[in-house]
Amino acid sequence: MTIASARPAPASRLKVRPAAEARGVLVIIALGLVGYFVFPDDLAFLTRLITIALLVISLDLVTGYCGVATLGQAAMFGVGAYAVGNACLAGLTDPVMLLFVGMAAGAAAGLASGALITRFHGLPQLVLSIALGQLVGALANKLSGWTGGSDGLSGITPSPVLGLFAFDLYSRTAYVFSLVVLALVFALLLRFMRSPFGLLCRGIRDDALRARMIGAAVYPRLVIMYGLSGAVAGIGGALAAITTGVVGLDSVSFERSAEALVMLVLGGTGTLWGALTGALVFQIFEHFVAATNPFHWMSMVGLLLIVIVVFAPRGLAHGAAVLWARLRVRGAAP
Amino acid sequence: MIKSSTLLCMLAAVGLLGGPAAADTIKVGVIGTMSGPYALFGKNFKMGIDAWVAQHGSKVGSHEVEFIYRDEEAPNPAKSKAIAQELLVKDKVQYLAGVYFTPNAMAVAPLLEQAKVPLIVMNAATSSIVEKSPFIARTSFTMWQNTVPAAKVARERGASKVAIAVTDYGPGIDAEAAFKKTFEAGGGTIVEAVRMPLNTTDFSPIMQRIKDSGADTIFTFLPAGPPTLAFVKAYIDNGLKAGGIKLMSTGDVVTEPDLPNIGDAGLGILSTYHYAVSHDSPENKAFLDQLVKSGGKLDEVTMTAVAAYDGARLIYKMIEATDGKQDPDKAIAAVKNLKWMSPRGPVSIDPETRHIRQNVYLREVAKRDGKLENKEVQTFEAQPDWALSKQ
Amino acid sequence: MRTILSIAVDALAYGMVLFIISIGLSIMMGLMRVVNLAHGAFAMIGGYLASYAVRSWGLSYGFAIVLAVIGTIVIALPLERLLFRRIYRKSDALPQLLLTIGITFLVIGIVNFIFGPTLKPVPLPGVLSGPFDIGFRMLPTHRLFVIACGAITAAALWYLLERTDFGVRLRAAVDNGDMAEALGIRTELIYLATFALAVGLAAFGGIVGAELLPIEPFYALRYMVVFLVVVSVGGAGSITGALAASLLLGLADTTGKYLAPEFGEFFFYLAVIVIVFLFPHGLLGRGALR
Repeated sequence: MTIASARPAPASRLKVRPAAEARGVLVIIALGLVGYFVFPDDLAFLTRLITIALLVISLDLVTGYCGVATLGQAAMFGVGAYAVGNACLAGLTDPVMLLFVGMAAGAAAGLASGALITRFHGLPQLVLSIALGQLVGALANKLSGWTGGSDGLSGITPSPVLGLFAFDLYSRTAYVFSLVVLALVFALLLRFMRSPFGLLCRGIRDDALRARMIGAAVYPRLVIMYGLSGAVAGIGGALAAITTGVVGLDSVSFERSAEALVMLVLGGTGTLWGALTGALVFQIFEHFVAATNPFHWMSMVGLLLIVIVVFAPRGLAHGAAVLWARLRVRGAAP
Repeated sequence: MIKSSTLLCMLAAVGLLGGPAAADTIKVGVIGTMSGPYALFGKNFKMGIDAWVAQHGSKVGSHEVEFIYRDEEAPNPAKSKAIAQELLVKDKVQYLAGVYFTPNAMAVAPLLEQAKVPLIVMNAATSSIVEKSPFIARTSFTMWQNTVPAAKVARERGASKVAIAVTDYGPGIDAEAAFKKTFEAGGGTIVEAVRMPLNTTDFSPIMQRIKDSGADTIFTFLPAGPPTLAFVKAYIDNGLKAGGIKLMSTGDVVTEPDLPNIGDAGLGILSTYHYAVSHDSPENKAFLDQLVKSGGKLDEVTMTAVAAYDGARLIYKMIEATDGKQDPDKAIAAVKNLKWMSPRGPVSIDPETRHIRQNVYLREVAKRDGKLENKEVQTFEAQPDWALSKQ
Repeated sequence: MRTILSIAVDALAYGMVLFIISIGLSIMMGLMRVVNLAHGAFAMIGGYLASYAVRSWGLSYGFAIVLAVIGTIVIALPLERLLFRRIYRKSDALPQLLLTIGITFLVIGIVNFIFGPTLKPVPLPGVLSGPFDIGFRMLPTHRLFVIACGAITAAALWYLLERTDFGVRLRAAVDNGDMAEALGIRTELIYLATFALAVGLAAFGGIVGAELLPIEPFYALRYMVVFLVVVSVGGAGSITGALAASLLLGLADTTGKYLAPEFGEFFFYLAVIVIVFLFPHGLLGRGALR
């Protein structure tokens, strides 16, 4: 298993050109524009999709790149969202500043939980991630002065982006704003993952012992990655708070964490594109199927997961990549 | 022949025909708990509205009215807001209605003024909801409205030390405040106030705490749904009922569909509420007959059906007053001061708060023809929302 | 003092429900090394079957329990053959999580389709309903029944594992699967039997615990992690560990709810974090699962 998953990494690394980041930005923006013009009535949904995509990407940083299985990722998303909500209610209404607030809060939460979780492996690690997530959820319910408890934190009204673009009923501003943030974060992460630090993290995932043998300090690196993951999740939470104006307990719930993991594995762990694909595909399907019957939706996701584990254990993105590579070979031949 | 009419329908559907025919369908978005543990109450929204439509037709003047249902599922403000936004932007609804949970209503409220759309709240019972937007009217009840009489009754019937146990969210906190204020004004004392998280399922420790507080009466509110049954059972099975501690609640805790599950042990439990299925009036009888005729089940009727039925009346009134145009100010103005005979009794919309003024009844769980029901034993006439109204 | 005793009794009842449901998972995780998030789904299926048997067929409570436990095992065994076997003893937890989450979702969807979204009570017989006076307080009679069920389950399991041929084989397979196989123990059959045992216990716990953990479609998701957490705290594969963990966590939860109800599950998970931090392999774990 470990050998198999390690193999494609060097190959793709060789293929990456310096322009990979620019290409990433272009692809996201292009996709985003298609969304904007083809589905002008669904921008609120597409905005929500982007915020969740950030959560899934953040999960990939720890699960895909560091091999830490966690079912508590929503805690950092929620902490970011609640921090932004409070900052906004306290008078800091500039959306860009709020993003930084969410990022900082998420990073802090990430560092703290990372320091605890990455000390362990396997079942204890998983259970700690669950327990921490649930603890944050219970606290969010209790500290209703800051979170609104079950009533949610509402009345979050950020000022116009750059003082120019107000958030509107049709979510146009919210969508474009989120899209730009996603593209930037994605490009930065692509760059970061190719840095020596990012590569070393993959090494740790594939073989922690070997990484240790070549003199890498494993624990601090994992904690830092957790902090980074928390920052990205925090940005997702911040976007959610800014664009919807409400933060509810659902943003720290176990269901949110579990769904993020499902989306990640659906797309394929260990690649940022996989995380993005998983988030997109899952949510678009959910949007259509769940609207008619939420329970049929659950059955379908259940079946899909089973099928994936049995037939395509490495995710949709991997399958798609294999297909794409084949097509390209075929196209280049004549 | 058949073909050309199908073609016409299709053309109309894609909006190619345009003109008056298409513009004349007025859409009403109903947000309710259509799935999950609270699904019964969303179903009641539909039952109530269906009954109204069956009696009054699907047209107001020349305007066809179409109700579109969406699922709020659970207290989830972000999701509800997204649903409302979709109804407004995509389905282009002219009215919003329904909403079971307070947090969800609060999240939807800021959209109304932006979209110029009125919202008829058919359940969510925190007083302050109507203050969140001038375009909100409510046909259900508020916690203050139902709780103030409860506190009065408790005091009249000799309670002096009360333990309050409420669900820890907007309506629960309202209920706690309303009971405390009224009861203390009457000279009683509150010896314990417990706020229980929404997802609590095991009430044994809480019963123990209440018992230790030395209270002679419990006042409780939980949102109607699965936990209420567990609460009442815990009250009975932990020996509080046998030990002489009385249970006083709003009717949410003893909704009619739950009574058979509580069983005979529930006999004698007191509650105050604005609607009992057993309410004896020609209007209620006609309403229930119609519910059953249009596919509802009598065993499943709850307060949300009557709130939806009356809510549909307001919506029809608003459409009539605005002649199908989107004019929220005029629409809301048309229902202020509206008075009518509801299945629950005489009601009116308070022009100040846009909330429904109605009788609140003291009821007792009793048995009639082998079936448990909430029997009305005392009436508090024309109760306003005590939190917002001046009087 | 009375209060402390009262809380202890409530905690005992809650702990026993946790124990009955979790112990099956514990044995399964100890033997097959599989992180099974679908365990709660089997408890839920048991609850639904029992509810249906009592309410629609009018069967007696005891008979309904037996029928529902058998029914749940019958439903679950094909899943073992087709799916669970693929993920036994994998070093990578991710496929295990996904497959079992997938099974849970599927069960939730199907159960809702068949039984509807509302809560389904498992009606108690007259003997078990109502209050019972145990001297210093009144207690729901049902709780006493649950406590007794827990004690009997623990004793029966102890006998099964320590005193029977099956138990010897099972323990051998837990301690060293390859060696057991080499000695001619057919681990595949042991796995199958253990799976059936685990699922049966889950169903049993789901039914008798229905008063505390009410049966509704989201049951499987709502309590998905609770059982896993109990097993992890106790140490996978250990009966005494699971019992200790169940009682301890039951106590943390009940005391928390008595002293500070508005904190919800805070104390439960705080206890989990502290224990896992101090004993990563569980209170009495054999360290088999890492």
